[in-house]
Amino acid sequence: MVDANTRPAASAKGIVKHFGATAALAGVDFDVMPGEVHALVGENGAGKSTLIRIFAGVHRPDRGTIEVEGRPCQFDGPQAAIAAGIVTIPQELRLVPALGVAENISVGDPPVRRFLGVIPRIDRARMREDARQTLAQLDFAPDLDAPAGSLSFAERQLVMIAKALRRRCRILILDEPTAALEKREIDRLFAVLARMKEQGVAIIYISHRLGEVVALADRCTILRDGRVAAVAQRGAFDAARLARAMTGGFEERASSSGVVQPGTTVLQEPAERPGAICLRAQETLGLAGLLGSGTDRVLARLFGVQPEPGTVAINGVPRRLANPRAAIAAGIGMVPAERSLGLIMNASVRDNIVLPSLGRFIHRGRFDKAGAARAVNELMDVLDIRPRRADTKVSALSGGNQQKVVLAKWLARGVSLLLLDEPTQGIDVAAKAQIHALLRDFARQGSILMNSSDLAELVLMCDAVLAFHHGHVAARIERSDLDESRLHAAIGG
Amino acid sequence: MQRPLRARLAGQAPLLTLILLCAVTALLTDRFLSPFNLTNILVQSSIMAVIAMGMTFVIVGGGFDLSVGSTVALSGCIAAMLMPVGGVALGVLGGVAAGALVGLANGFIIAMLGVNPFITTLGTMVLVRGVVFIITGGAPIGDEGLPPAFIAFGSQRLFGVHYLVWVPVGLLATVTYIMHSTPYGRRVYATGGGREAAYLSGVPVRRVIASTYIWCGALAGLAGVMLAARLQSGQPTAGEFYELTAIAAVVLGGASLHGGEGTPAKSVIGVFIMVVLGNALNLLNVDSYWQRVAVGAVIIAAAAADRLRSR
Repeated sequence: MVDANTRPAASAKGIVKHFGATAALAGVDFDVMPGEVHALVGENGAGKSTLIRIFAGVHRPDRGTIEVEGRPCQFDGPQAAIAAGIVTIPQELRLVPALGVAENISVGDPPVRRFLGVIPRIDRARMREDARQTLAQLDFAPDLDAPAGSLSFAERQLVMIAKALRRRCRILILDEPTAALEKREIDRLFAVLARMKEQGVAIIYISHRLGEVVALADRCTILRDGRVAAVAQRGAFDAARLARAMTGGFEERASSSGVVQPGTTVLQEPAERPGAICLRAQETLGLAGLLGSGTDRVLARLFGVQPEPGTVAINGVPRRLANPRAAIAAGIGMVPAERSLGLIMNASVRDNIVLPSLGRFIHRGRFDKAGAARAVNELMDVLDIRPRRADTKVSALSGGNQQKVVLAKWLARGVSLLLLDEPTQGIDVAAKAQIHALLRDFARQGSILMNSSDLAELVLMCDAVLAFHHGHVAARIERSDLDESRLHAAIGG
Repeated sequence: MQRPLRARLAGQAPLLTLILLCAVTALLTDRFLSPFNLTNILVQSSIMAVIAMGMTFVIVGGGFDLSVGSTVALSGCIAAMLMPVGGVALGVLGGVAAGALVGLANGFIIAMLGVNPFITTLGTMVLVRGVVFIITGGAPIGDEGLPPAFIAFGSQRLFGVHYLVWVPVGLLATVTYIMHSTPYGRRVYATGGGREAAYLSGVPVRRVIASTYIWCGALAGLAGVMLAARLQSGQPTAGEFYELTAIAAVVLGGASLHGGEGTPAKSVIGVFIMVVLGNALNLLNVDSYWQRVAVGAVIIAAAAADRLRSR
């Protein structure tokens, strides 16, 4: 399929991109041929997203060049990249939910007819005909007037691809396209991609699911720490080898100061609940699963954000976790994946730390400012929150320090169980190690339930990991058997 | 550690604006600093300050209340109706309670049913004004004569300052204490600053939001009673456009319409800016049509300055 003599549809040469002090990309070469599926794999933070955002015109490289069909390009925005024929299908599909399918496909560049040669008006007949033809190329015939919001995720994805096709896209970038799809929908997507390949479209395919990469990709580039760790042609890679190349044999074991024996059961969900959790004292339990596997729902129901009927036994006492307040009263704290949900961004470090404990800092019937300030200062020292100024707005802090403030909130409250959702997402390596150390300290007295798509983190931190599939626990892997390739296999990646 | 001078000054922009405005006006006209004029400014500001303090609760909590102007009229009329029957205390209580009831309705619809605050309070603004006209028949209340003590409250002075002015002075200390030094007050700031994050920290956000409207309604009710004392009657048309002045004052005082920022004291400064500006334009014989243009421009300029600063 790939002719060695043809020119790459798009290429990147020597791309360097810094965000602040951290180098997201440190000199990356990458290209994709017409009619080729080129997979891009790597762990979180390896630089995949940064690279595709540079192709998509979202970021500008500090150094290096992008070429499209041999011509150097400088994109000053996403529109410029689209005009050059590069279209990205992101994980969150950007369609206008209230507009119809046909209108969504032509939005931004609708067919126009001029009344009396001057007054423009949208040519609805042509808009529908355009949409019908493009969708037919994908073997997809939805109701053209149905609002996009009424379609399933898989259908909306096809509408996005149709939109790309209509704009004569030559390079299609797919970011984790199958993360929320079912098997049948994945098959249909792959059939669509095969057809696009035949038409000579170059496809850059990003996925955590290494099995898919092996099945689909003509070539695979592995990124690690902002560099190309390896490039392999079809047939020269399998899932296990990819997993190894992604981590680079890098092993930073937890300083296991003797295996702690988990104590008594602190949390027990009713057994009939799908994916029921049982957690013991001093235990760090991991949750692993692909997008849509239900790991996030476990945290949401235990914190009362998406409450479920029935009670949960906490230290043997049945509790209704009906809302976050009830969960907090039961000694549970939550670190959400989005820091804007963990923190009031325009409030100070102090106000954020004391927020869950406001009712506790009461002295003779009034708010005990001095006591709260002492507690805050102590926590800022223990957690090494910088700058060491309690009246700094948290929006001015780095991601790592913000996450420490979220932890400090729950330490101030004295919770015994922490629910963590992607606790070190988007945090630099040094801060990540600090947060891991803090969590290990916490686990000496308390328990942790941790959801992470960073499998290396789960291997590093957890006493056991539950692999989730469609809301059910597919496997429980104990620490002694825990490694990344086994986790990959268990979650179906 | 000291905060940089620039940051500290930026936080005091409303106060600096007020001082500058007073200084310029004093230079342009010598009548500005006359005792008569200063008293006039204080009395004019007092009623609006009470409303603006209530509005501060709502805006800090992330909301918005357009119904305060109508509430002022409702409470004034109810107070004037009750007083000949049950005395001053019952009148004042009834007026404030009527305001709190409007606030409770707003709070319930906005926080519990999730209706947009703008639409909800636009609705109650019109509805309450209608109720006022129904219960008064469109005529002022108080022809039979209100209790002399109440009339005195609207016109007499204590230590050389009008009783009306002492009300917001005492209230400012109380409201500032509630907002700054009680767990409840901090929860209001947290809810306005990030409703979801506050909810995930255990704050009962719906109850907090509803409570801010009750504060706002009750204080608007108190303002209505004060206005009735000053006008020596309950006027069904009283308080028109007060909601806009109050919101403008709170924003001029540096509160963010996104919620989570603002203090009662700064809102009062915002009220003074509005009143002094109007007073200055009057003293300088600026045409009243042009006064409106100037006031509107000042509000937009204040909001724009806030946006530029936060970049």
